[in-house]
Amino acid sequence: MKIDIQEHKGIKVFALSGEIDMSSSPVLRSELMGLVSRKVPVVFVDFKDVSYIDSSGIATFVEGLKAMMPYGGRLKLLGVPAKIMEIFNFSKLDKVFEIYGNVEDAFKG
Amino acid sequence: MRLPKDSAVITIPSQPKYLCVVREAAARMADMGGFDASAVEDIRLAVDEACSNVIKYAYGGDGGKRITVRFRNTVAGFEALIEDSGPRTDPACLKGRDLDEVRPGGLGIHFIRRTFDVVAFDERKRNGNRLRLLKYRDRGHEDRHTGT
Repeated sequence: MKIDIQEHKGIKVFALSGEIDMSSSPVLRSELMGLVSRKVPVVFVDFKDVSYIDSSGIATFVEGLKAMMPYGGRLKLLGVPAKIMEIFNFSKLDKVFEIYGNVEDAFKG
Repeated sequence: MRLPKDSAVITIPSQPKYLCVVREAAARMADMGGFDASAVEDIRLAVDEACSNVIKYAYGGDGGKRITVRFRNTVAGFEALIEDSGPRTDPACLKGRDLDEVRPGGLGIHFIRRTFDVVAFDERKRNGNRLRLLKYRDRGHEDRHTGT
């Protein structure tokens, strides 16, 4: 997994690529929780180039979201591939996360 | 050691960085077994989750152990036997969290159960654990496979 942290119109965007699993999710967690601890108001996570995610990866985003809620932060997921969307749906997390098609939609939402 | 027909055995160290090896093997075996792309991806994830659980729970994060996975394609379906040498696992742990509860963790077992028709520990194994995962073929595929 690779994490490219970009800034788009003042918003932090995590552009992820590759496989998110038990091996790589601790790195992702560290980066995400680093932003959350600074109370960054909005974080976009671009899944477009993510080929695989396991339960540890999902747990990382749930943890990030729950940590952002108390200060009103928003975690927006975008470009989620169909197979990964199926996992969010099955886990009923599609109703919990804000999920958008692309970065433009995420800005509007 | 002779391997049964249409089977493969892989042993990995109990370290997360090797999970990609075992899940790739699972996906390749499922693909060779004639499962469709969606089922192959489900099998990839479910076998990965089962091995992750071995690392986390049976071995408590100890990376110095081994996990052996035996894959087999049969007319009935795809089977994976996941073996470890950790303390006996309580079968009650094969229950995940309520999916309506929003918290990190507890999803892996759901991913295993949604894919495999049989998820059970082999009670005959004396030392360690052997988890049996079996996914049946859909009837249509079996007909094509056997030419019936």
